[in-house]
Amino acid sequence: MATANLPTSHEHIRPWTPPTFWSIAWKALRRKPSRMLGLGILVFYVLMAVFGPMFYPANLPTNPANIYASPSWTHPLGTDFEGTDVLALIVTGSRYVLYSAGLAAFFTVGIGAILGLVSGYFRGWPEAIIMRIADFFLTVPGFPLLVVLSTVWNFGNPVSMGLVLGLTGWAALARAVRSQTLSLRERSFVEAARGLGLSRRQIVFGEVFPNTAPYVAMHFLLAITGSIYLEVGLFFLGVVPFSTNNWGVMLNLAFSQAGAMYSTRALPYLLSPLFCIMSLTFGIVLFLGAVDEVLNPRLRSV
Amino acid sequence: MIEVRKLEKVYPPVVGGLLSHNEVRALRGVSLSISDGGALSIIGESGCGKTTFGRILAGLESYSGGDIAMDGVALNSLPNNERQPYFRRIQLIHQDPYTALNPSHTILHAMAVPLRIQAKLQKKNDDWILNRSKELLAMVGLDPVGTLYKYPHALSGGQRQRVVIARALTVDPKILVADEAVSMIDVSMRLSILNLLSDLRVRLRIGIVFITHDVAAARYIAKDGELCVLYRGEVVEYGQTDEIIVRPVHPYTQAMLSAMPVLRGLEEAGPDRYIPLEGMDDFEGQGSGCLFAPRCRHATARCQEQHPDLVPWDDRLSSSSHHHACFYPIPRNVVARPINRENAL
Amino acid sequence: MGADLKVIGNADQDAQVECQIRDLTVIFTTDSGDFPALNHVNLDIIKNKITAIVGESGSGKSTLGLAILNGVAFPGKVTEGSVEFAEHGNVLKLRGKALRHFRGPVVGTVFQASQNAMNPLARVGKQILDLGRSHHYKDPRKLLHEAENLARRMAMDPSRVLTAYPHQLSGGMRQRMGIIMALVLKPKVLLLDEPTTALDLLTQSAVLEIIRSIHRERHLTTILITHDMGVVAEVSDYIVVMYAGRVVEQGSTHDTLRDPRHPYTRAILRAIPRLTGDLNRARPLEGSPPDLTQIPATGCVFRSRCSYRAPQCDLVAPLLESVDTGHFVACHQEGLIRD
Ligand SMILES: Nc1ncnc2c1ncn2[C@@H]1O[C@H](COP(=O)(O)OP(=O)(O)OP(=O)(O)O)[C@@H](O)[C@H]1O
Ligand SMILES: Nc1ncnc2c1ncn2[C@@H]1O[C@H](COP(=O)(O)OP(=O)(O)O)[C@@H](O)[C@H]1O
Ligand code: SF4
Ligand code: SF4
Ligand SMILES: [Mg+2]
Ligand SMILES: [Mg+2]
Repeated sequence: MATANLPTSHEHIRPWTPPTFWSIAWKALRRKPSRMLGLGILVFYVLMAVFGPMFYPANLPTNPANIYASPSWTHPLGTDFEGTDVLALIVTGSRYVLYSAGLAAFFTVGIGAILGLVSGYFRGWPEAIIMRIADFFLTVPGFPLLVVLSTVWNFGNPVSMGLVLGLTGWAALARAVRSQTLSLRERSFVEAARGLGLSRRQIVFGEVFPNTAPYVAMHFLLAITGSIYLEVGLFFLGVVPFSTNNWGVMLNLAFSQAGAMYSTRALPYLLSPLFCIMSLTFGIVLFLGAVDEVLNPRLRSV
Repeated sequence: MIEVRKLEKVYPPVVGGLLSHNEVRALRGVSLSISDGGALSIIGESGCGKTTFGRILAGLESYSGGDIAMDGVALNSLPNNERQPYFRRIQLIHQDPYTALNPSHTILHAMAVPLRIQAKLQKKNDDWILNRSKELLAMVGLDPVGTLYKYPHALSGGQRQRVVIARALTVDPKILVADEAVSMIDVSMRLSILNLLSDLRVRLRIGIVFITHDVAAARYIAKDGELCVLYRGEVVEYGQTDEIIVRPVHPYTQAMLSAMPVLRGLEEAGPDRYIPLEGMDDFEGQGSGCLFAPRCRHATARCQEQHPDLVPWDDRLSSSSHHHACFYPIPRNVVARPINRENAL
Repeated sequence: MGADLKVIGNADQDAQVECQIRDLTVIFTTDSGDFPALNHVNLDIIKNKITAIVGESGSGKSTLGLAILNGVAFPGKVTEGSVEFAEHGNVLKLRGKALRHFRGPVVGTVFQASQNAMNPLARVGKQILDLGRSHHYKDPRKLLHEAENLARRMAMDPSRVLTAYPHQLSGGMRQRMGIIMALVLKPKVLLLDEPTTALDLLTQSAVLEIIRSIHRERHLTTILITHDMGVVAEVSDYIVVMYAGRVVEQGSTHDTLRDPRHPYTRAILRAIPRLTGDLNRARPLEGSPPDLTQIPATGCVFRSRCSYRAPQCDLVAPLLESVDTGHFVACHQEGLIRD
């Protein structure tokens, strides 16, 4: 085909640059103040987890003379059964919680999205096998499974904790992504991509995946909160050995050592990690709408 | 030049479930050819195999029998992986411009991905990709700069279909297969898309296979092209477009043409126009006879038993290319004619 | 605006009006503002005739159909106007039970894409019985009998189609089933939104033939919504051309097609390729179909695509005015539009 004699009507190029990802994201955030609040909460906790522990010694000082102190200037959230500052426990404990929950969400989403895409796009035996395994994880209740697993395998450090939560938690996402992929692969743009000579990898990850991205990203955020509940639950039950301090350990000790059920003096100690978990969840929920809008071009008002 | 010889397609039976069906013979030995820059229209009611034919041509569907030859190369003689480059030069334009573009990507992305493959083959750089995208969008009548960074949802149906055509042009196709390409586009925009397709045919010598049930649109794309009437996977009439419109001899072609609405006040119906109601759902009736016999008002006992083959129609008025598959071919005047008025539109 | 146009006459002197629409305005509230999907629509629907409402997508046809049923739902809202049915008064005032008695028994409706809207899990005959029950229909056997008659009338085998699940029927059969379901309650008005859009031409012509003959046999008043001029020309007696939420031309189908007076109607007729005659006569219409978010509040809605545009078209919206007996056009330049 001759390209020489084509019209060149595009010479009057208007200076116009497409909006960047960041400008779209900023706009989506600004549209609702609640989204800004959500982002603020998230940033606050991430900063706390990353930098907070630097301000405290590796072993927090105990003070048997000052146990269950009420909130004061020196101990804004009071002290625990050993007289350790609760704020310090919260801050140093946040790293484990967020790190392992982030890893868990990462594994959940990574495994779930890839397996969902592969089984939905290629069908056939990969689909049969993957979905059979997914059904297994979906029917076996997750928390009891983790409890059982924890007896045979020590996943006390954040990486193994994240890995275990990811390996047991991907099934729901894989199913959802698969069913979206099943309908997407019938759209003519997928067929057009095949006709134009795109490779399978390009079609699955370049064409199909972006359409599931808003869902996957939201699942990522929700998987973070889900993982926090699970790991805190495990520590609370005490089935995972306490190798480091974290919010789950605090809750466990608040009950077992401080008898928070029976006395009010340990109330700040009990409520602090609870409040952190709740407010983090709240921040994530507020933030979700912005993620959907950023990744879903149809929701953007240009 | 593309030749299709005795193309067969059988969809295997599906058992169980809501969608179970018997084996479907979608194409039963279709032979056709399309020259470079030529135009072939395929008409027929839904389910007659038009889409199947188009998808096989574009390499998106396998075939069960017959052969396709491109510029003399029989594709059956090639191993599978060597066929793809041939099929890539036949691009399908889908019916629905709303699902033919990926909603997650900008138009630039839609153009750049296939262009990048071309750029690699032709050792071109990124600037070439951008410039070529703009060039192709301009060629299909879009404002390149205003369109490139938009998402499909911001474009109208007509604009999307233009983008789809521009995207198909990225691989320098020999043939565009337009499967009902204007049926989902607003009436006021259809004509300009048809103009675009016939323009590409003339300017770039791209052959057009125009799949439709709107014969008037087929005529508008190429009066000089060929028209092929499919019935249940079989060619029942074939010839020059205008000749078939004016003097159809197969009863099924006549039914199709009768079904074209008449613009009363501007046109009058052809004297032989006939709209059958009986048997409109009667698609079964295998047997060995004419496939159209259960619905044909001219059927005789012979039609029930023997199968009519595609033969040339020879009377003094017809051209040599006119073929039909009917035992009793009679030209009938079924299409509407314009009423002569002094202040006609 | 259109408010001063109170009486719309028609060519047929003794024709009765079944439904009178005055100043009907429907506003859609969206994130990016409020848009009138219908803007002061005035319209008479003549009894025992087929009136076709035609326009491109987004012209407000379906919204008009819903408004006639008092069925405009959020984010749409009727902000002005009335829909008066002979014997039923202003439909927009009906609520609850009165409204239920109106939709179905008085106006039978086939909605756009309704062939895909049937319950996939119930047999067609059962769905007809359910329909009767929801309208407190006393005699189910009579209802089925009626459905069987209609099915036969539409060239279908009643014992087969009534016992089938929807997916076992072809698109054309489902569309005819939709018409049957609209007719079993014996309404006097039949409202069809794009009844043939998803069908191929052969089935379309058969369905149109059926609509035409059922209309005649049952003395119905039929309102047919479509984007296809061919369909209009085939079956309708009267035509209403809509553009961007306004009626731009209306009149008898024969006169309007023979002598269209609005630039849009003329352009759209010219943009339809024909089977015979000179191909070079066909001209594409410039510009894009109306996008309500872009329609300016003042002036003529069609002006961005109009070749007769004059300065006053930018300032004042033209009113629907009579140009002939029973032929109305909304255009400032109407007088100039002659060949
Ligand atoms: N739920 C809704 N929310 C916002 N806008 C709407 C909604 N429904 C309809 N509209 C707008 O109202 C206008 C008229 O819509 P309507 O459905 O009546 O069009 P139509 O003429 O029937 O088109 P089509 O041929 O596509 O059926 C359009 O611009 C449409 O975008
Ligand atoms: N993937 C498929 N599996 C089974 N049957 C199919 C498939 N695609 C099409 N068919 C059948 O093949 C026949 C021809 O279909 P198609 O080519 O889509 O017709 P058209 O485009 O003319 O409407 C129909 O009977 C249809 O039901
Ligand atoms: S061969 Fe017989 S049945 Fe077939 S189309 Fe001709 S007349 Fe009709
Ligand atoms: S009023 Fe003006 S712009 Fe509108 S249709 Fe008439 S001439 Fe065209
Ligand atoms: Mg098709
Ligand atoms: Mg509509």
